[in-house]
Amino acid sequence: MEYYHIPSSVEETLSIADNYSGNYTYFAGGTDIQIYRKQKLDTHDHIIDLSRLDELKSITVNKDHLHLGAMTTLDDIISSDIINSNYPLISEAAKSVATPVIRKTATIGGNLLVNNRCIFYNQSKEWRDSIGSCLKDKGDICQVTGGNKSCYARNVSDTATALVALESEIIFLTPSGSIQKPLTELYLPCGIKSNELDEHSILTGITIPIKAEKWWYRKLRLRKTLDFTSLTVAATVDSDRIARICLNGVSMSPVLIKEALKSLTLESLIKQARKNCKTVENDLMPLKYRREMINVYLKECWETLH
Amino acid sequence: MSGPIGKPTPYIDGVEKVRGQAMYTDDYKLPNMLYLTFLRSTESHAKIKSLDISSAKSYPGVVAVATGKDIPVSFGILPISPDETAMAVEKVRYNGEIVAAVAGKTVEAAQEAVKNIKVEYESITAFTDPHDSLEKCNLEEQIHPHTKDGKNIHKTAELRFNEPEKELETAKYKQTGFFKFAGVTHAFTEPHSTLAIWNGDKTLTVISATQVPHYLHKNLSKVLGLPLHKIQVQKPALGGGFGGKSDPFPHEMITAYMAMKTKQPVKCTFSREEVFITHHGRHPTEMSMSVSCDNSGKITALDTDIIIDGGAYGSFGVVTSYYNGVLLQGPYKIDKFGFRTRRAYTNKHQCGAMRGHGAVNPRYAVEVILDMLAQDLNMDPCDLRNKNFLPENSFTVGEFRITSNGVRDCLDTVRKKSDWDKRYGKLPYGRGLGIACGFFISGSALPIIWNRYPQTVVHAKLDFDGRIVMFSGASEIGQGSDTMLVQIAAEELGIALDYVQVEVADTKTTPVDLGSYSSRVTFMVGNAAKTASSNIRKEMAKAIGKEKNVSPDKLIFANSRIQTQDKSIDLSWEDGVEIAMAGRGAFVESGHYISPKLGGKYKGAGAGLSPSYSFGAFISEVTVNSDTGEVNVEKIWAAHDCGKALNPLAVEGQIEGSIHMGIGQALTEEMRYKNGQQMNPNFFDYRIPSSVDTPDMDISIIESNDPEGPYGAKEAGEGPIHPVLPSIGNAVYDAVGIRMMELPMTPDKVLSKLKEMS
Repeated sequence: MEYYHIPSSVEETLSIADNYSGNYTYFAGGTDIQIYRKQKLDTHDHIIDLSRLDELKSITVNKDHLHLGAMTTLDDIISSDIINSNYPLISEAAKSVATPVIRKTATIGGNLLVNNRCIFYNQSKEWRDSIGSCLKDKGDICQVTGGNKSCYARNVSDTATALVALESEIIFLTPSGSIQKPLTELYLPCGIKSNELDEHSILTGITIPIKAEKWWYRKLRLRKTLDFTSLTVAATVDSDRIARICLNGVSMSPVLIKEALKSLTLESLIKQARKNCKTVENDLMPLKYRREMINVYLKECWETLH
Repeated sequence: MSGPIGKPTPYIDGVEKVRGQAMYTDDYKLPNMLYLTFLRSTESHAKIKSLDISSAKSYPGVVAVATGKDIPVSFGILPISPDETAMAVEKVRYNGEIVAAVAGKTVEAAQEAVKNIKVEYESITAFTDPHDSLEKCNLEEQIHPHTKDGKNIHKTAELRFNEPEKELETAKYKQTGFFKFAGVTHAFTEPHSTLAIWNGDKTLTVISATQVPHYLHKNLSKVLGLPLHKIQVQKPALGGGFGGKSDPFPHEMITAYMAMKTKQPVKCTFSREEVFITHHGRHPTEMSMSVSCDNSGKITALDTDIIIDGGAYGSFGVVTSYYNGVLLQGPYKIDKFGFRTRRAYTNKHQCGAMRGHGAVNPRYAVEVILDMLAQDLNMDPCDLRNKNFLPENSFTVGEFRITSNGVRDCLDTVRKKSDWDKRYGKLPYGRGLGIACGFFISGSALPIIWNRYPQTVVHAKLDFDGRIVMFSGASEIGQGSDTMLVQIAAEELGIALDYVQVEVADTKTTPVDLGSYSSRVTFMVGNAAKTASSNIRKEMAKAIGKEKNVSPDKLIFANSRIQTQDKSIDLSWEDGVEIAMAGRGAFVESGHYISPKLGGKYKGAGAGLSPSYSFGAFISEVTVNSDTGEVNVEKIWAAHDCGKALNPLAVEGQIEGSIHMGIGQALTEEMRYKNGQQMNPNFFDYRIPSSVDTPDMDISIIESNDPEGPYGAKEAGEGPIHPVLPSIGNAVYDAVGIRMMELPMTPDKVLSKLKEMS
């Protein structure tokens, strides 16, 4: 298959990517993106399958930092003793993604970069043509709000929620070398272009600097498995009593509230969350309910953190 | 019974299906086979102003293109409402309706060619809310020209006995509820698929994923203008139906037409989205229902007014309209009884029959209201139900004949197993128990199309190899009908199961069976199979008796031998076969089933008539999170009266499947729309409960031994779904004190009810 490329090193990957600039899609597991192919939401001619990048499959501890290779599967994370004993929040989040079978293939890097979703966007081509296309697709109007400027498609990465609450950093390789920066800076508050990775860069790993002294995690969904999130909250308190509360699934990017625990109150936490989450009617769970659940989750979370 | 009847028997087609060897329709590939794809309407209600297929026709790889005008003959499962055509003629009535079809040498060629069809629509006001369809509209806005009074009402079904409204006016104990049910769909695994072959002898063979080969046969003849004797319909292995494959479908007509037109085999297999578009599932329903009772808890009257949202075409809708009302006549004795159902045409995909046909939603309503009445009377809800059960061998107010009835056993069983008396009303806040009962037909006593034939015929053939072949038109759709045929023949002839094989669901070689719908197959085909195979036994006994000089009735057929009591005659099965066939060779015996004459003389008396009825009682235990509104079903105790479980393994499977499907409708499943277009036409957003959402199940089979069922058997495929939903609804009340009047009870609805209460 001329269009299907399976490189065995990161260098080779970047060179193939360079070759087909603007016309390729990465499969970092491919469990989600294959649906995009089928629904003709992704129409690039080339696929670069990253499943043979063994150098990116690793779980290591280095000077108190946990390091995850981007191609580590969610299943590997869940079954890792290091993570289960020291970073239970990460395995809890990974366990809440999709189903056991999908987690055998889906990777942490793929989940961090999962496409933003909207009920008017994640549909077949025929469906979209029938109702009218949207901003995120090829149209000029948002089917949810009727506006023509902003797309509110939701970031639905559960592992991002946990990793942001753990102050994680990401490492990516660019033609000019390796760069490390906070995971929060990866995401853009935009439903269409939801992260700032350009096509010449590749996410290679994640570094988790802190261990949480206390943590809380919960995902809202109709079924106990498979469903993407309607609201995910992950929270930690570190040894310096800094609280980090991250909400996802209710805005275009993960929303982090970070504050010293002693100065934070539940009221201000809820207020900040509600203000920073741009939640609209773009999920099958009603907007009003998801907003209510932000309060309910934060209240429960607060009881654990405090 | 010494043979396999009543013993857990794995399905004879099970291993092949599990190993991936079973041939489903889409597995068939023939030389020169063409692939069919469709242009579907992007409008909900519109005139087709122009339709240009010229560039699609000339697209490379395309062999034929067809539009509505090519096959304009209307059809439908019910002869009283054949309101559908294979493709839209002049106007479209729902988003997704087929407008044109392309047969290509490859799927890709056909798909690309479809994009080259040019169609212009002129929009007409679309009716997506059934309430709007009940109002008068302009003639040009009418969805179908045949509806009356300028309204879009397809059918009004109404029956009334002994003025229930008068009783309800003055009753001391009365409850009224307004209920709303979202539409749900069958969600079977195998998508619709059809392969049509135009044979050298100018006959047509249609292989299709259908529950009703016979009705497909008849409708193909009507639409294609081809005599019945030139059409063969075959149903191969089939991956689930639940009522969703019980209509003759447009794609079946078009595939057959294209095969005739091109003289090449043509195959059509739906995408999952097309399966959702085709739908024919449970009607979205709104109903107000009132029930009254006296001081002692005896039900005195029931009256209900129901609106069902039928979508653009008729399907089984007339039957659905009646079933919404008439199947409330059991399991409780209600002498003052009335209902009205109005089925609205709307500009959405059509609804039709789905497991528990028509009776699931009203069952929810009545069982919830009975719970409310028990509360008012300060009476245990099980006791209230116990006071009202119809007796065995009685008649309902609408003259349904009740024969066997194990409902009291069902109730007692689940009550005891769940420790109801100690736990109901006494569990901590957030945890609760709920009871509900069920009642369903064991086969419709009347055929869909009136005729003078039996409802089913089975042939049993014996040949020199000692093999019995059962020929039946019955459609195995996963419910176990093939295995039942084998079990019955083996039982009657005293032979091992592996002596018996089946030839089924082929309208050329198998005698007519009306189809796998209305839970009729075990009862009707089972009886016919029993007669056919016992006739083989009689013939064999006659021949052996003559040769061995013994009275035929002294011969015992058991353990694959034929013996007299004293073993003075002791033949192997093969020796017996040789004697029976001497001088005549292979022979075929026949059995048939005709329902006895039943029912009243009033108009509508035929709806819901059945030679027998199944009963059930289920108790659900739920937990409700009062902060989030999430409902979790922890356990269900199920007791179903299926008369006699011919195959307890199959009966358990049916009950488990019903519980799973019932939980889906109760908690998570829902057809969502925006302007008539479905928002969740895929298995990701249409949320069927997963294995982890499925609770512990404790299943009890209650055997009331029906006098007319084969070995006493009644249905078990649909009845068990009815009690599932209301038992959950009632358990939610016991847990947190709210009455859920709207399904599915998603967490948002539960939470808003909880807030309303506080």
